[in-house]
Amino acid sequence: MNIIETQNLTKSYGKFTAVSEINLHVPKGTVYGFLGPNGAGKSTAMKMFLGLTKPTGGAFVINGKQFPGDRVQILKEVGSFIEAPAFYGNLTGEENLDIIRRILGLPKSSVSEALEIVGLTQYRKRLAKKYSLGMKQRLGLAGALIGKPPILILDEPTNGLDPVGIHEIRALIRSLPQQFECTVFVSSHLLSEIELMADNIGILNHGRLLFEGTLDTLKSSAASMGYPTDNLEDTFFALIDADNRQRGGVR
Amino acid sequence: MSFLFLVGVELKKIRRSKIFLILVLATVILWIPSVLNADLNFGMQAEGISPENNFFIQGFMAMAWFIFPATMVVITVLQNQTERAGHGILKMLALPVSTAKLCMAKFVVLVSFSAIQFLMSIGMYYVSATIAGSMQNYNFILPPLFIFKEVGMMWISSIPMLSLFWLLAVCIQAPVFSIGIGLASVVPSVLIINTKVYFAYPMAYPFFVITSEYGKLATNLNTAQVELIPWLPVAALITVVCLMISCIRFGQAERR
Amino acid sequence: MSFGLELRKVKRTGFLPAFLGGGILAAAVPVLNMAFRSEIYVGINAAPVNILLNANWQIMSMFNILLVVVGACIMYNTEYAEGAIQKMCTLPTKESTMFFGKIAVLIAVSILLLLIETISVFGCSVHWFEVSADLYMETLKSFGFFLLLMLPTVFCALLIASLSKNMWIGLGIGVMCVFAATMIPSQNFVLTLFPFALPFQTLENHTADVIRNYAAAGAVETVLIALLEIMILKVRRSFE
Repeated sequence: MNIIETQNLTKSYGKFTAVSEINLHVPKGTVYGFLGPNGAGKSTAMKMFLGLTKPTGGAFVINGKQFPGDRVQILKEVGSFIEAPAFYGNLTGEENLDIIRRILGLPKSSVSEALEIVGLTQYRKRLAKKYSLGMKQRLGLAGALIGKPPILILDEPTNGLDPVGIHEIRALIRSLPQQFECTVFVSSHLLSEIELMADNIGILNHGRLLFEGTLDTLKSSAASMGYPTDNLEDTFFALIDADNRQRGGVR
Repeated sequence: MSFLFLVGVELKKIRRSKIFLILVLATVILWIPSVLNADLNFGMQAEGISPENNFFIQGFMAMAWFIFPATMVVITVLQNQTERAGHGILKMLALPVSTAKLCMAKFVVLVSFSAIQFLMSIGMYYVSATIAGSMQNYNFILPPLFIFKEVGMMWISSIPMLSLFWLLAVCIQAPVFSIGIGLASVVPSVLIINTKVYFAYPMAYPFFVITSEYGKLATNLNTAQVELIPWLPVAALITVVCLMISCIRFGQAERR
Repeated sequence: MSFGLELRKVKRTGFLPAFLGGGILAAAVPVLNMAFRSEIYVGINAAPVNILLNANWQIMSMFNILLVVVGACIMYNTEYAEGAIQKMCTLPTKESTMFFGKIAVLIAVSILLLLIETISVFGCSVHWFEVSADLYMETLKSFGFFLLLMLPTVFCALLIASLSKNMWIGLGIGVMCVFAATMIPSQNFVLTLFPFALPFQTLENHTADVIRNYAAAGAVETVLIALLEIMILKVRRSFE
């Protein structure tokens, strides 16, 4: 069963089309890797899922519900992390999470749980504006994970983290479906990263979906088209490059 | 790096900030009532001031008492916020530029904006004097030399006030206080120009200058006249002290 | 709930101390005025509250309006400065709920302001004038009238602050509105209905009819501005 599904989802700004008629299928209880170079339209698609921006065409369903009618219901079930930073600089990390907790109507303990999960417990009393880049990123993740929502939408969650942090967060995301029985929709511009986390992947370039399926399907279809498959990053580059060339040299 | 170049950089930073829109709006709001109430200028026999002089003085009095100081506070907010959003200030402090120079460049931008606002007001004065003149069949227009001299005096007298606002903006980190104190300090100047200690209160200077001019033009009115001693030394002292402290304190919160 | 939440968000911004300090400053106006030149006022043949408000309310209300404008800007600045508002939009709550939560906080601090000022005016009446039996009632009525006429200002200031990500634009427009309000002649009923001009009105200078009109206008404006904000939020959302 697909928990997120889109039908010809499109977003244009004037003449520029950021997301062009994409059809995504995100199965429940899996990690879905949303892959694409910078500016491919990943963030725009994710913002549409959260009702932050309106589609100009097509439709999508999240857990059987639609915007704008079921907005509050959808947002209750979705934990999200979009474009850090998004916090109150004059409040501590703990106070920031407490505000989110109150709006979501969660028990008090959920704040310390979320801080523990992302490893911010010892910095919880520090003002959020004094956080380092990595700590801000972790605070954003804590704000998404708080209350263990059934759906998680994470936009490049490992940006700005150190190698140890990246490893931790990847392992965390990988374990989420088993731990909390949730579905994770995570974006990245690194195939090598997605490879370590995701069950399914969707590849986006210039707003269009180039591929959707499992990693194995990607490998086999790439091999059949004559792209290199021994290094996945090369496969990804070849795919994007071929698409760019096909679009008339537009890069 | 030359100082003028730095001033240019500071001006560039506030491009697209819509501050001009706010300045224009302020000037328009300032002169609309003057045009609409132009007929009132003919009923000033008790004060003994000619209609054209009254038209000029009333407009600039309204400007000097509140909207001019208040827009200057807004501009200090603009300068600070552009620097803090995106942490531009950290980059600036990491460049081989003296912080005192940087601080002074920003102050010069503030002073230039005050000049721009006065120039806009002069322009708007001529526009509204023309409109009011054709409405009332009377020539409200005064010679440019006189206007520029009076407004120039107001502008120069506003520099101590600007340096004080700049001090507030640099030293008080919480915007609610730097803005609040700045705006609140403007309000009592109506009372203070009537006291003997007007020279100790820079926020009242431009208003004092224009009111004393009002007294000169109105034969039956007795307003306090400008006395250069002790005013000039006090004003100079306030300006120098404020600017010195701002230059020392500038960027210290970020470097801590 | 939303009230408590919004109150938490202004922590460490100096919001509450600013209102407290502003209130004390405004309250000091009649005290200082009386302390220095009580001889001008004591002889006037009118109710003490009337004399005091006539002499000082213009300046006191100016402080109030400016504080409300700055307070409103600060409240939305905490939302916009580090992008917190975006996080709020991804939570199951409405932007209008946030707006009304902030309104509740601003009204609460405005009550605090007016309370401090009313106590000061009352104190001055008792200290410098002969206390009459209806002084309590008069002071209380004035307080209520001021509070009601302050509401449109609070709503309008917060509406302006909510529009712009950059604080100086909100502040600039707010200051412009305050300035426009000071330019409005207080005898012209229609013009004084401008939301930022209403708080300058005092109970004592008007007949019962005019007071009723002002009260009604204050209530109507408040509702209209609230509706306008809800509409703006809806429209803005569909443009993002």
